[in-house]
Amino acid sequence: MAYLELKNVSKTFSGVVAVHEFSLDIEKGSLVSFLGPSGCGKTTTLRMIAGFEQPDGGTIELDGEDITTVPPNRRDIGMVFQAYALFPNMTVRENVAFGLKMKKLTKELVDKRVNEVLDMVRLQNTTRRFPHQLSGGQQQRIALARALAVQPRVLLLDEPLSALDAEVRVALRAEIRRIQSELAITTVYVTHDQAEALSISDRVVVMDKGIIQQVGSAIEIYRAPQNRFVATFIGTANQFFGKVGGQATVACEKLQLVTGPLSGFNNNQDVVVLVRPENIQVHAARPDKKGWNILEGVVETITFHGAVTRLGVHINDQQRVVADVTVANNEAVTLNKTVWLSFQPTACQVMANNT
Amino acid sequence: MSNKSNPPNGTPIKKRPAFWQIAAIAFFVLYMFLPIISTYMFSIATRWDRSILPEGYTLQSYVRAFQASYFTVTLRNSLILSISSVIVSLMIIVPTVYWVHTRLPRAKSLLEILMILPFGIPTVVLALALVRVYSLTPLSRSPVLLLGAVIVYSMPFMYRPVANALQAIDAHTLTEAGQSLGANTFRILMSIIVPNILPGILSGSLLVFATVFAEFTLTRLIVGASFKTFPLLLVEYTRINGNIAAAFSVISFTIAWLASILILRVGSKDHAAQTEAMQAR
Repeated sequence: MAYLELKNVSKTFSGVVAVHEFSLDIEKGSLVSFLGPSGCGKTTTLRMIAGFEQPDGGTIELDGEDITTVPPNRRDIGMVFQAYALFPNMTVRENVAFGLKMKKLTKELVDKRVNEVLDMVRLQNTTRRFPHQLSGGQQQRIALARALAVQPRVLLLDEPLSALDAEVRVALRAEIRRIQSELAITTVYVTHDQAEALSISDRVVVMDKGIIQQVGSAIEIYRAPQNRFVATFIGTANQFFGKVGGQATVACEKLQLVTGPLSGFNNNQDVVVLVRPENIQVHAARPDKKGWNILEGVVETITFHGAVTRLGVHINDQQRVVADVTVANNEAVTLNKTVWLSFQPTACQVMANNT
Repeated sequence: MSNKSNPPNGTPIKKRPAFWQIAAIAFFVLYMFLPIISTYMFSIATRWDRSILPEGYTLQSYVRAFQASYFTVTLRNSLILSISSVIVSLMIIVPTVYWVHTRLPRAKSLLEILMILPFGIPTVVLALALVRVYSLTPLSRSPVLLLGAVIVYSMPFMYRPVANALQAIDAHTLTEAGQSLGANTFRILMSIIVPNILPGILSGSLLVFATVFAEFTLTRLIVGASFKTFPLLLVEYTRINGNIAAAFSVISFTIAWLASILILRVGSKDHAAQTEAMQAR
């Protein structure tokens, strides 16, 4: 049975729908990310779980108890904010101890627990400092320690790493995952950064316009996106618009693509074929690959990304295709050179084109 | 962009202040302090109408000031009035501004307008209106009515610094952080919000205290002689003896200054603790 359960939760802000009929079951001890562009309703949903916003409809249940109308201070749900929200007038120790004091624990218990959580975030030596004397990364670790100190039933993280620089972000997200797994605490993580969501989550909830687009593991979300939004929002995908032309072909304006079996589509139906750049191979001469899709084009842009180099290839007037070339598979590619792109039919994801 | 006025690396150009700058500052200092200094000198002068400096000095005016029949009573009344206004306006303003800031941002503009109103209404009008409105109630011409009036009158002085201080901290997120840790609104206000806006609260209190302590028009028109305050006594003495009136003024300044120092001391205690913690690193 689900530990945290959202049923048809909706929220509207002065006529604008922020979250629409959001239903989700979250297992105990799992880390679930809400991922989506800004304004997709992920933070609003999180705030409704925390109790900072009241849903207009639907219910939120935690461990079998309906908490929809329970005030935030009685939900026993910890929260980490983007802006850290440490209390500036209190030392690190006082910040971490705050929630424990609210629970009226004895001084010994408070001290013991404070030391435990500071140990967990590896910041034992900062207890007497004030928040403004710490770096952003340290402050966020203290905020995490403060939220964990009270042993909440659920931990909510609202874009916790957005204010930090890249290096700290990667280190801290690994740390968050480590602590989360160690404590097996049910966690909801809101982010607009797909790398973050994909790397630390048990399950990812992709949202757009207040609606869940897809729920699944990181691999499912990436490899088998259920709709065009997910496919294009997560990673990069080349889009070929066309009509179903047979059992396994899609006729685009100036090219014909061989795809996997097209069951569930009508002949002539408008579809979009999605191909990820890393599934496209680049060749200096026309490759001899039976059954593959082979496109000829001219290199327009070359962008170095470190592990891969991304090429923008001009196929025809309407179409530009991006392909990733790894160092290992690096044909001598220069600007304005004619190249051949190849990809397998299985690399094509075909979706109905409703928009 | 011109490089002449903006030196590279942000190194400030060391430049002696221009003559007009020194003159302007000197004029300002004189303008501010000359009246205070002259009042002080007048309070200890024997006779000061035929020479540039007083002809002689004496503390006689202070002796007579302290011996004045209403001295203690008026001083007590003024302190009661000022301290009560500080307390009441703290109790009204701080929670209200906090509430509006975090829960009802739409009401902020209404509050802003309300807080400008006392400046727009002449005190004489305010006083006479209050006297009329309350004339048939037991509150009529009572010190309680006066207290209400001076609180309204001095409210902007409390509101502005408190609102600014709240604006400067992220009160909304701090509140939510407190809530998620199990604190109720009262605890959040007392342990998180108030300590972080203390400088604003202190300067607000100081301004209200000083304003109310020196308040004359409302007191004169609402309660008159039935609740005589220090400024009333002072004005009365300007007609009797200028030197004694000057002595009263000096006493009044001194009280205001002492109050300021006291309030600032209390306020810097937290700050001192913070500095100490910093040094202990």
